[in-house]
Amino acid sequence: MAELVVFYCFAAILVFAAFRVITVRNPVHAALFLVLAFFSSACVWILLEAEFLAIVLVLVYVGAVMVLFLFVVMMLDINLAPLREGFTRYLGLGAAVAVLIVAQLLLVLGSDRFGLERVGAPVRRAADYSNTEELGVLLYTVYAYPFEIAAVVLLVAIIAAISLTMRRRPGIKAQNPAEQVAVRRSDRVRLVKMRSESRR
Amino acid sequence: MTDLYVWVVLAPLIGSVIAGVFGKSIGRAGAHWACILGVGVSTLISGAAFGHIVLEGGAAFESTLYHWGRVGDLTLEIGFLVDPLSATMMFVVSFVSLMVHIYTIGYMRDDPGYQRFFSYIALFTFAMLMLCMSNNFLQLFFGWEAVGVVSYLLIGFWFQRESAIRANLKAFLVNRIGDLGFLLGVAAVLFYFGTLRYSEVFELAPSLQGATLSIFPGADWSVASLICILLFMGAMGKSAQFPLHVWLPDSMEGPTPISALIHAATMVTAGIFMVARMSPLFEQSETALSVVLVVGAITALFMGLLGLVQNDIKRVVAYSTLSQLGYMAVALGASAYAAAIFHLVTHAFFKALLFLAAGSVIIALHHNQDMRSMGGLRKYMPVTWITSLLGSLALIGFPGFAGFFSKDAIIEAVHLSEVPGHDFAYWCVVIGVFVTALYSFRLYFLVFHGKERMDEHAREHLHESPWVVTVPLVLLAIPSVLIGWIGIEPMLFGDHFGDSLFVLSEHDVLARLGDSYRGEAAFIGHAFATPPLYLALAGVACAWYFYMVRPDLPALCARRLAPVHSVLVHKYGFDLLYEEVLARIGRGLGSLFWRIGDRILIDGMLVNGSARVVGWFSSLIRQLQTGFLYTYAFAMIIGLVALMSLFVFLRMQGHS
Amino acid sequence: MPFVTPEFLPALPEILLAVMACLVLLVDLYFGRRHPSWVFLLAQASLVLCALLCIALYPEEPTTTFNGTFRSDGMSAVLKVFMILVTYFVLFYSKFYLDVRDLFKGEYFVLSLFAVLGMMILVSAASLLTLYLGLELMALCLYALVALNRESSMASEAAMKYFVLGALASGTLLYGMSLLYGVTGSLELDRIREYQSVGGEIDIILVLGLVFIVVGVAFKLGAAPFHMWVPDVYEGAPTSVTLFVGTAPKIAAFGMLMRLLVDGLAGVQGDWIEMLTILSVLSMAVGNIIAIAQTNLKRMLAYSTIAHVGFLLLGIIAGTRAGYAASMFYVIVYALMGLGAFGMIIVLGSKGFESDRLDDFRGLNERSPWLAFLVLVLMLSMAGVPPFVGFWAKWSVLREVVAADQVWLATVAVVLAVIGLFYYLRVVRLVYFEEGQEAAPLVCGTDVKVMISTNALAILALGVYPSALLALCVTALG
Repeated sequence: MAELVVFYCFAAILVFAAFRVITVRNPVHAALFLVLAFFSSACVWILLEAEFLAIVLVLVYVGAVMVLFLFVVMMLDINLAPLREGFTRYLGLGAAVAVLIVAQLLLVLGSDRFGLERVGAPVRRAADYSNTEELGVLLYTVYAYPFEIAAVVLLVAIIAAISLTMRRRPGIKAQNPAEQVAVRRSDRVRLVKMRSESRR
Repeated sequence: MTDLYVWVVLAPLIGSVIAGVFGKSIGRAGAHWACILGVGVSTLISGAAFGHIVLEGGAAFESTLYHWGRVGDLTLEIGFLVDPLSATMMFVVSFVSLMVHIYTIGYMRDDPGYQRFFSYIALFTFAMLMLCMSNNFLQLFFGWEAVGVVSYLLIGFWFQRESAIRANLKAFLVNRIGDLGFLLGVAAVLFYFGTLRYSEVFELAPSLQGATLSIFPGADWSVASLICILLFMGAMGKSAQFPLHVWLPDSMEGPTPISALIHAATMVTAGIFMVARMSPLFEQSETALSVVLVVGAITALFMGLLGLVQNDIKRVVAYSTLSQLGYMAVALGASAYAAAIFHLVTHAFFKALLFLAAGSVIIALHHNQDMRSMGGLRKYMPVTWITSLLGSLALIGFPGFAGFFSKDAIIEAVHLSEVPGHDFAYWCVVIGVFVTALYSFRLYFLVFHGKERMDEHAREHLHESPWVVTVPLVLLAIPSVLIGWIGIEPMLFGDHFGDSLFVLSEHDVLARLGDSYRGEAAFIGHAFATPPLYLALAGVACAWYFYMVRPDLPALCARRLAPVHSVLVHKYGFDLLYEEVLARIGRGLGSLFWRIGDRILIDGMLVNGSARVVGWFSSLIRQLQTGFLYTYAFAMIIGLVALMSLFVFLRMQGHS
Repeated sequence: MPFVTPEFLPALPEILLAVMACLVLLVDLYFGRRHPSWVFLLAQASLVLCALLCIALYPEEPTTTFNGTFRSDGMSAVLKVFMILVTYFVLFYSKFYLDVRDLFKGEYFVLSLFAVLGMMILVSAASLLTLYLGLELMALCLYALVALNRESSMASEAAMKYFVLGALASGTLLYGMSLLYGVTGSLELDRIREYQSVGGEIDIILVLGLVFIVVGVAFKLGAAPFHMWVPDVYEGAPTSVTLFVGTAPKIAAFGMLMRLLVDGLAGVQGDWIEMLTILSVLSMAVGNIIAIAQTNLKRMLAYSTIAHVGFLLLGIIAGTRAGYAASMFYVIVYALMGLGAFGMIIVLGSKGFESDRLDDFRGLNERSPWLAFLVLVLMLSMAGVPPFVGFWAKWSVLREVVAADQVWLATVAVVLAVIGLFYYLRVVRLVYFEEGQEAAPLVCGTDVKVMISTNALAILALGVYPSALLALCVTALG
């Protein structure tokens, strides 16, 4: 019973925060609300005994991704006026479509489809049961192939990011230290021999 | 035998490839020798085949050469069927083609595209022979499209001319409409019979009787009629039948040898040949025969009328071709297939002759084609004059000449026919005789007699054309005179075609005609008792009176009958309808969708809104028009919602 | 769950390619400056090796390994070989394109190899998880490739559109997959199919998931109304990348469609046939009609792609083994034709000149009759004129549609194909019958000329003898 209360608390916070992410005007606030949403979903996961995932969510998304996000948002100094205008202008149309989608999804995905009698509650584990270890075993055995592909995806992301950002802009005047160090006298100074003109 | 027949098609192809690919290195003489040799080989073998199969009555030859592919149960193959019908066509096609090849040496002498031209016409000969010798629908379709492509290339041969480009595009597009029908027809054959080989299809043809097919729910169509009318649509395109006739007069933009070879003697008869070849199918559908009859009759009369107001010498001959093709179609519609092929053969000779003669005149006048600046050429070009006179007499059906036998047989056949529409057709072809005589002799008098209306400069250079031009004329004039005498009895009433043509006994008008046939002389004698002969003579007389005695009369008539004249000059407004209305609708539709899709939906909605529709991304990449993205994404969502509503929501409503 | 060490052999081509791609990356790092061609040669060599390996390991029987996440069967083997072949050509053209414009970068080839790896994973996925990862691997590489030329704002814009819309589409796909997982309790395609056959009445959630999945795949294929990215990306991307995006990934997307719909969702076949019918008709109409109004050849070919996708779907709509084989034939043939058409733009271009406007093709016959002839072959084949192989592709799908008693659909397709003829012939007309502004004879390297000739003549040869490829498709699908 207590668990249920806790669940509904976090769920309510989650929905509220997610909603605020897209409605709040200040992008910094939006990013912070997203952090809140991540936190509350991490808590929900802990209720489901998925401790590892919950902690990774906080570490990776909150600790790394969102901090990066905040930096970008703050550095870019976004002009807010047009954002608001566009939002209201297409709000009606967008909302209508959104309502349509939600209504249809609700019709189909009612609780009778995914209720406990259909799916079954997860098995309760003892306190010393290691979620992390189980995940690790699964990842390196049954899901080894998808896991490797995910690694390749990350590699590609790194290659792509580096090759797109590391580039020589045309017209930029930068020094090349290697060249400077490797320079030889003959590159810089040219000795010209001239015959001195004789005076008349 | 297979080995020998393969060379009928391969020899011109090899000639074409040699002239086309190595044209530069082997020079002009090399190119024309390669092609003439190739076509010469075809002509020899075709002649031998004609002798063996038709004259000696040898067995028809059928063999599959090569399996192209296999789709499911369907085998696609290349094969030859040489029976009396195709042997006749092969001989006519290769012979006329050979004459045209020789003539071209003279006609194209100064053209920079000499080798290219030879390559094209040899390629055409190859394609046309493939079409004639095919033993299945697929190869027929291949030949059909191939002659279309070559014709497209040849009409636009002088592609620096704007008018030539327009004409070849027009020919191609109009033919596509016909070809669409033809392709659907072939598809229907495949769908219904499950095979593309003639022999198997024809064997199953009687099963079509009474069979129906529903393409759109609720409408049952007779399979036989559907197949035949679709196939005939193809014939309407290739053989320039009303209302797909518009391309043929414009195709005169090509060099004259092409007008003679493709647009008079061979390619345009492909449709006629095809219908005759499909006689076992067409016999199953009275509706289809009736359509063929009526379309042919309209073409025969109304296209002939247009010839009366043309001043370009080649266009007059072109309209006469249209009209004669109409006659052939009428014969097909009356189930007198043999008469159609007979007329096709005689027409091939005398129309090629007339075109080549016109070409000879055009060379002499330095490529001036306007009849108003000709006249009195008789003195300067005796050979051309005599041969044209013979050709014209053959065309109008003067007793004894080739055209007489074939055309009179058609008129008699229509008279006896009982297919719906035969009355209308009969009157059309009978009046057509008068019209034919009128325009043919109008041309003849304007060109060869009367005042010399060319300018001084042109008159000084007038002389008869070189031997490479006149020899083909003479060689074509001989059959134009004689082939009727020789051909009528075996082809119409004898056993010339064996069982390559199929006629139901209740349709067999030629058999009934044959009952009263008592030899060539009697046939001529009989003509004196029927109106067509007198109509033809009246036509000649009118032409003589109008253009020799009172040359002021035609202009007066044109003024008096201004509305009629203007309708004729504007060719009944078909060009206008197609170009201004149909083509414009097509183009309009394209740009309309573009405007709605790209302009209004994307540019319109977004260029204006882009300043406002700025999301998070646009702040990162401000200089880009992120507005576009919004619509794209929105369109995707709309698509998703639509699919969801259609398949999930509606289904749930249906269940509950 | 007891764990057995999986069999690695069927996945050897993928493993090899992954290793080689990393090797190419290292070679680029150490020798890229001094010997740029090493990267190219090594990349080509790894493709050839990989293709040979695929052929050597052609599975007689479908094998599943890696605990039901990887499947190797006839279809995957054939598709892989053709994707590699197409990429081999693409890299060749790309080298020419990049060299001429001083854009040569080792990463280009590394990313291309990884994209191929993604496609290979995609077509031999046996579970939703691998399928999705393969798709993302491929897509990520393509996004980066489109954006690779940072100096071009057009390319950056195209990449951004492609990326955002692609993310939306893969989100949709993922949602659909999660619905399937939720209702069937498994990620393996075989289990999902079994669930349906046991279930009796069709579960409505499956249909809902299907809708999302179809939308995701339709985006990848570029089927209307999810096609809007296609013209912009095709036009904006560097031509060599357009060439890549327009060819090999289409084959992969076909494989994905087959895996998801035929392997996984056979139980709701009736529903997806109807959905694909709508997409197919819309695509053929939108593609063929809007293409008429284009003046840029890349944009025109983009719309033509959309139309071809519509045709490609016809065979799947037929819903039979023979129909799938016809579609497979179509997609392979399409890839070859697209390769030639975009390759031609690259061949005709030069430094600072893209040759992607229709006007640039004016009077080509005067400048180079041979290339003009190749353009003729390519355009007529795309238009579906016999005897070129494009005709056979159209013919085979139409035949299957008719065999499935959908005569009206075939009629609509034929009518739209005839409309489409117009814009292909317009190119031919420009090439042969119009005067060009440029009169100088065209100069281009012998190597690319040989490549494009091989490409176009293959189309001609396949048109004369299509049965081998067709039979291969039929056997591959078992």
